[in-house]
Amino acid sequence: MNKANRRFAAVDVLLLVLTILPLAVGLVLKILFTPPSEGIQITGALVYFTIPFPVQDIIISEAQVNSWLVILSVLFLCLYLTHGIRAKVKTRRQAMLEWVVEKSENMVRENMGDYFMGFVPFIAAILALSAFSSLLSLLGMYPPTSDINIVGGWAILVFILITYYKFKCGPLGYLKSFGDPVPFLAPLNIISEVATPISMAFRHYGNILSGTVISVLIATGLQGLTAIVLGWLPGWLGEFPFLRIGLPAVLSIYFDVFSGVLQAYIFAMLTMLYVAGGFPAEEFFKRQEKKKAKS
Amino acid sequence: MQTLGIISVNLWSILISLCNLLLLFLILKKFLYKPVKNLLAAREAQVQAQYDAAAKAEADAEAARAEWEEKRQNAEAEAETIVKTATANAERRGNTIVAEAREKADRIVQQAQNEAVLEHKKAEAAIRQEIVDVSAVLATKMLGREVRAEDHRRMIDSFIKDMGDGE
Repeated sequence: MNKANRRFAAVDVLLLVLTILPLAVGLVLKILFTPPSEGIQITGALVYFTIPFPVQDIIISEAQVNSWLVILSVLFLCLYLTHGIRAKVKTRRQAMLEWVVEKSENMVRENMGDYFMGFVPFIAAILALSAFSSLLSLLGMYPPTSDINIVGGWAILVFILITYYKFKCGPLGYLKSFGDPVPFLAPLNIISEVATPISMAFRHYGNILSGTVISVLIATGLQGLTAIVLGWLPGWLGEFPFLRIGLPAVLSIYFDVFSGVLQAYIFAMLTMLYVAGGFPAEEFFKRQEKKKAKS
Repeated sequence: MQTLGIISVNLWSILISLCNLLLLFLILKKFLYKPVKNLLAAREAQVQAQYDAAAKAEADAEAARAEWEEKRQNAEAEAETIVKTATANAERRGNTIVAEAREKADRIVQQAQNEAVLEHKKAEAAIRQEIVDVSAVLATKMLGREVRAEDHRRMIDSFIKDMGDGE
């Protein structure tokens, strides 16, 4: 009994450590590979290495690595949360886990309907990956969501899903919808169709990146302001950026925490609305019943 | 170290990121939602089992109650029949006893009557004998000689009889 308890606790600790470890690894990588910089620098992700490949080289960038680290972290977090759950006792961990599952299920049910309950893990994956990626900037790591390629990949996956469900609802109807209301507007309809993933990707990417950019600008600006206002102080006191204390932290709550979580929520919400909107389940079932009645 | 531009599109990066999202989806499905689903299903089964057990216990109690009720009613009916038969037996026995007593009394009365009649007859005979004896003494006295009762019995008897009839 005691031995089993100890082993259980050991596994718990191991899983928690494995949850935190990827983030630590990301931090170490960031510290090791960031080049010394001077002045304002707003760049994309660091490139760790490139693999030659047809069409375009595969770039293993900071954004890619960080998003893998997030996935690893989430994987171990899941293992930690589901470690030792039992039907009878309800621990705090279990209550948290059930809260997460219940909330995500309710969210999907409200926005998409019962037909799409299989989407719950997907929506949860979008929320987790997006939110945790954005929150990496709190640790000083490069948030993968401020790389257009990362968010673009997600948006394209969502676009594929939307198109798949529109096609499933009725291939002819889907094709016909491009000629609405008059056939010669088809190019515009196609553009609006393609605009969906692009707008989703750019909204997310732009929000996170702009947060970073504004943070950098304000931090630099405050440094300059300190130099003007307090530059007369003797010695190192004159060089220390006093005004940078405080305000950037407050802004970080908005740009890193609030904006990151909000964009994750918006991305998930849009995914749900577009997919569910492209596939009116009731109409679909009615049509299928009619088809069955005919044959 | 080289850095990417703010906007640099790379097809493979996009593809990798797309796969990443799919991967996380599978991870969450397998390691988060499946265990919780199993857990909830197990809990539901447990609760259902408890409900079933409670329902069964209730049904059992109800059955036991019905059984006892039936037994009670049977016992009541049995008691009633026992009392009834006992009463009937007692009545019958009482009746027989009374009848027997009456019979006995009748017999005693009859016997007494018979005895009385017999006594009467005996007394009659005794009186008659007396009369004969007296008559014989009288006659002896009157006739002056001895009358032997045995010789004249018939005559005396008829005489008494005539006397008796004359009364």
